[in-house]
Amino acid sequence: MRREFSYMWRDRGLRNILLLGPLLGLFLFMAIYHTQNIKDIPTAIVDLDRSSSSREIAEKMKSTEDLKVVSYPANYQQMEELIRRGEIIVGVVIPENFARDVALHRHTRILMIIDASNTAYATNASTAVLGVTRTISAEAGIKTLLAQGMDPVTARNTYMAVDFKEEGWFNPTLNYIYFLVLAMALNMWQQCCTITASINIIGETGVKSWLQIKAAGFSKGRLFFYKSLAHIITFMVLVIPVYIFAFGVFKLPLACSFGTLLLFTLLFAIALHSVGTLMSSAANNAVDSTRFGMMVALPSFVLSGYTWPIEAMPKLLQPVVWIFPQTWFFQGFNYLSFKNPGWEFMGSYFCALLIIAFICYSLASLLTAWMER
Amino acid sequence: MKQLWNIAHYEFLHVLKDPILIIIVFIAPLFYACLFGAVYCSAILYDVPLAIVDQDNSVLSREIKTAFANDDSFRIIEGIDSYEEMEAGMKTGTLRAAIVIPRDLELRIYQHRPAQVLAVYDASNLIWGFNSRKFIREVVNDFSIRHTAARLAGEGFSPREIENIVNSVECNVTAWYNPNYSYSNYLFMGLMMLAVHQLGLFGVCLAVTREKERQSWIHYIASAIPSWKIALGKALPYLIMNFFNYALVLWISSRFVQVKIEGSVGLLAVLGILYLMTITFAGFIISLYSSNSLQATRYLMLLSLPLFMISGYTWPRSYIPEFINYIALLFPSSWMVLGIRMVSLKELGLDVLWPTILALSILAVLAVYFAMNFKKERKAPYIDGVNINGGISYPRKINRLQALRQQIRVSRLS
Repeated sequence: MRREFSYMWRDRGLRNILLLGPLLGLFLFMAIYHTQNIKDIPTAIVDLDRSSSSREIAEKMKSTEDLKVVSYPANYQQMEELIRRGEIIVGVVIPENFARDVALHRHTRILMIIDASNTAYATNASTAVLGVTRTISAEAGIKTLLAQGMDPVTARNTYMAVDFKEEGWFNPTLNYIYFLVLAMALNMWQQCCTITASINIIGETGVKSWLQIKAAGFSKGRLFFYKSLAHIITFMVLVIPVYIFAFGVFKLPLACSFGTLLLFTLLFAIALHSVGTLMSSAANNAVDSTRFGMMVALPSFVLSGYTWPIEAMPKLLQPVVWIFPQTWFFQGFNYLSFKNPGWEFMGSYFCALLIIAFICYSLASLLTAWMER
Repeated sequence: MKQLWNIAHYEFLHVLKDPILIIIVFIAPLFYACLFGAVYCSAILYDVPLAIVDQDNSVLSREIKTAFANDDSFRIIEGIDSYEEMEAGMKTGTLRAAIVIPRDLELRIYQHRPAQVLAVYDASNLIWGFNSRKFIREVVNDFSIRHTAARLAGEGFSPREIENIVNSVECNVTAWYNPNYSYSNYLFMGLMMLAVHQLGLFGVCLAVTREKERQSWIHYIASAIPSWKIALGKALPYLIMNFFNYALVLWISSRFVQVKIEGSVGLLAVLGILYLMTITFAGFIISLYSSNSLQATRYLMLLSLPLFMISGYTWPRSYIPEFINYIALLFPSSWMVLGIRMVSLKELGLDVLWPTILALSILAVLAVYFAMNFKKERKAPYIDGVNINGGISYPRKINRLQALRQQIRVSRLS
């Protein structure tokens, strides 16, 4: 083990990657998502009526929590140009004669345009707009009813009979930092681990000193067991500062106990190491092994269903994504950090990682034995 | 010209002789396009598992239930009758949203007392959270209008009067460029441009390190061939293959993944050429200064996620700190992912796109300049680190595989 720790330390490239990669990732992603939510969505209002009623609408848009009115273009074309250039995301057009139509209780239409090219932005904008449109329509309707002689209480009840209260569970403020930052830092960490694990076997059998080891009659099983142990200890030593910063300094949510999360992470580190070991036993040299690792590690976060849900993937792909330990880990991590559904539910996640590790280590040892015949 | 051709030809042979490089250069882009295409093929989230905990069992509560059941966005999960069951379902992920209709809702409304329906959604995954919230608001808005209309009809208003009251100020919400909020339109092309970036770099970054490891780089340095010919000859096969991959990705995306790829083909080609020139020649420079292939591969592998996140493709640039935005400007991927969105999704022209093209041109010129003017000098080998893959490896697997191939050939012949 001491030899392996020494080799990892003396390999300058690997040392830099392991020491800096996960923590730098955490700080970078924290900085990127420092605003936490998409608020103040840039909005433009084209007021073609310029009446008190239209100004009232503009005021309502301004007071909407997630929208920020940044521009008042003179006409539709100017607003279109602002959307094209990406300077605004929401455009509101209040038509000519708006006040007159409202006063005469005639049907009138406010146009609201959302730039949906960035869906994350657009979904937020759309939700904000839906909230404000409901209020605008209801207030206009109540005014019409009042004008027709209905008493104010009945008029309000007609419109606001059923009140819906919304609650976002587990992450009530819909905070991007809570959802993404630690998961992405852990994704960086798992890539660093894959890089290390992918030289486990080839790092020995691919160099000339392997002849010496073989000639000395040293047990291969013991050699690779202690090498693997050194790797897994290193992985855990690397992830602990990430967790300390995430939960201790940045106060990210953790529904389960720290020990449970650490145990789950340990099992994932073992499973991930087993996959890297399997690759390193199949590759011809360390570069090829690292490239195999890259081909699996890069799409694994997308495939894990952490962001785009597995349920929304095609039926054919859904069982395939569960082959990867990353899927079990990131799904389980989401449950543990936000919900803590208990051992009964999480048991399958712990077991799956152990099974993957068992299968991959077994295959790796068989493959290495075959290669070394 | 012949020298250039010979170097390019030699490099191309190297690619063909390395099976993993063949996979990276020829198969991986296609594989990633198919893989990500499959992941995002549904494009929009629908069938959100929703429970309705109806504690009122009245006409009104059934109306609410019907409003949600009739919406394609939701899939009603039956058999959830209590708050506790709903809570357990939300915890285990069998439910992503729920509506709790309290007891006496209808009675309270008839008595003009405040009554509130609770709509909860799982925000532990923000894609579920944002979409569920949006779908709930859409259904609630629709339900409120229909409910109001029904009440007005009960009060004796004529259909025309109801129409005038309910729609006195109609808000018409239109989504531009991506009308159904498709996630494949939103994410796929950005991911693919990053895959092209990474795979392009992985190929070319071995061009010089391979020669260094085989001790053959000295021949290039000692020869009378000018630097620019060596750089161009080494990079040319990768440039051609990368452009082929870029075109292939665009074709697959528009043909099979149903991603919106419209706008000017000429602009897409210009963006692609500038982007790939920058990547290829930058990869050559990385290869030139890397101590060995392994280090180059390792560093490049970790670049993908940070590059994607700082590009502003998913999280808008206006929300990212200024200093990160300035750093992002130095990377071609930041310009390309947004540029391709502007052309393919928003169908914008040169009038809006010129800063992107100018920036990519500057980056391409710099990469080409530094690659073609490298100093032909041999650096002392770095002896501090562990040289895991630096020398000629103990001939182990290659011989066994070759032996296996020979056995197969012999058995076929016999």
